[in-house]
Amino acid sequence: MSDKDRPFFVGYLPAPKALRGLLLAVCVLFISGLAGFGLALGIAQDDPGEGAFRFDYGRQTVTGVVELTPYPLLRVTEGNERIPAGHTLMLAGGGKTNVESRAIPLEGQLAQVSGVLLERGSLDMMQVRGGRNGLQAAEGEVPVFETIPLGRWKLAGEICDGKCLAGAMRPGRGLAHKACANLCLLGKVPPVFVSTQPVDGSEFLLITGPDGGHLPESAYHYVAQFVSLEGEVERRGDLLVLRLDPDTLEVLE
Amino acid sequence: MSVKYIPVQWNPNKYIYDAVMLLGVGLFLYVFLYASPGILSHERPINPQVHNARAFGACAFVMLTVILCIGPLARLDPRFLPLLYNRRHFGVMTVFVAITHAGYIVDWYFAFSSSNKYEALLFANTSYGQLAGFPFEVFGIFALFTLILLAATSHDFWMKFLSPPVWKRIHYLIYPAYLSVVAHVSFGILQDQQNHAFTMIFIGGAAAVGILQLIAALKERRADQELASEAVEWVPVCDVSEMKEGFAKIKLLANGERVAVYLNEGKLSAISNACAHQNGPLGEGQIIDCLVTCPWHGFQYDVTNGRSPAPFTEKIPTYNLKTEGTRVLVDPRANPPGTYVEPVPAGATS
Repeated sequence: MSDKDRPFFVGYLPAPKALRGLLLAVCVLFISGLAGFGLALGIAQDDPGEGAFRFDYGRQTVTGVVELTPYPLLRVTEGNERIPAGHTLMLAGGGKTNVESRAIPLEGQLAQVSGVLLERGSLDMMQVRGGRNGLQAAEGEVPVFETIPLGRWKLAGEICDGKCLAGAMRPGRGLAHKACANLCLLGKVPPVFVSTQPVDGSEFLLITGPDGGHLPESAYHYVAQFVSLEGEVERRGDLLVLRLDPDTLEVLE
Repeated sequence: MSVKYIPVQWNPNKYIYDAVMLLGVGLFLYVFLYASPGILSHERPINPQVHNARAFGACAFVMLTVILCIGPLARLDPRFLPLLYNRRHFGVMTVFVAITHAGYIVDWYFAFSSSNKYEALLFANTSYGQLAGFPFEVFGIFALFTLILLAATSHDFWMKFLSPPVWKRIHYLIYPAYLSVVAHVSFGILQDQQNHAFTMIFIGGAAAVGILQLIAALKERRADQELASEAVEWVPVCDVSEMKEGFAKIKLLANGERVAVYLNEGKLSAISNACAHQNGPLGEGQIIDCLVTCPWHGFQYDVTNGRSPAPFTEKIPTYNLKTEGTRVLVDPRANPPGTYVEPVPAGATS
């Protein structure tokens, strides 16, 4: 109901004098409030961690033996300052792609690999350059590397895409990142299981499907969640590989 | 009011409104993007694309929250009606901020694969059967498309073209859109957040919208109960002595329509309470230059025939009135929009 004691605002007329003080206060509150919310929300962001592309290391080139888990690995035989001999390096392509088509013909052979390193603590991965410059056969004697079975383990932790986790994206894990992680896994980027408890000294394990296959797509529903799972663990140099038994996947509270 | 459609009918108040809005939004983004990283003690910075996406996403949420607080605030205290005046510009600006947020997300999280990034947005996560890990992106997509639809149809042309009731119903989609934004944030970033400041601000904002809407709805319900009338041939409105020159009394008829009875130059006239523009409450306006003026956007009508002054063409229904002693009574059967009704002398008035 209209009220003659109330100042009446009409948009195309000057604001009534009785309202100007209130409107000015609202303007000041609005502008300062938005600036305040910008600050409060801006500084409320969590630390994405130390993972990163190590462009500062420069291009890395090492030689080793290519293995397929089926995700391609390099058992380094001739390393450098950053990547020592004896290290097992996971290999990925640019973006959300893999290097399997280039690695399959070289399985069990000596190869030279070149690219950029991604590093988060003890976890690392190489983003291999495109074409032959990234992955090519190398001359030399092929050493024999052991794969040591460590038996069946029941573990709790999170399935991540190894590349984002290692620092391709900051942040690169968690439920808000799940779709991105799934897309990486669909691109056959090596997946990594982050265990809550170290397994034989390592909290990061390359996770594959059973019987030497890729991580099954049924497992994608569990990506980025806190899960328990079981599988066979094997050691390949300093990298652990977990062969997931998909039937054991279970979400934990 | 307009005779022809032009993109924006600017006036000094609109310039001030938009300037304040742009300054607030600009400051939010500047502080989030450029001031906060210096305060964060992260060993390595958040990816710029993620940082930008968060800044624009958070800004869109805050803007939408403010927009949805304006309506109930103005219903609770009419002094806040000026905030409603140019709210559509605020809404359109929010859509641009939300689109920028979506752009950063799609170009970062869903790019770099061999698939089309827009297709990837739809198929990358299909865990619809679970709460944790639910594809919260779909809530964002729904909200964004709804906001785009509302912004695209916000111009008066569309209101005229669709008719105000249809237009109004379409624009009620803002509420599902906001709920969808709340779900988008709740199933998304909130799941990973370790710092609870964001959670508190988010819950506080969403709760403010919910509580204000609820209080305003309860107030209107109480008011409706006071204004409600029986289904009779002539509906009593009030005593003539309660009428004030240039102002109205509103009555809620049994058929759900509201009628505004105005006292103008000592005579009584009744018109529909719903403005032809956006159904604004004409009975809460006042007579300026002999014309009833809507409190929302200033649309004007001749109180005797419900017509906007030439060259404008808006028309609203009128009602027949009579007095019995000092009682004012209204015939609940509305006349066709624009029908002239001879004003009734009020007799004794305040």
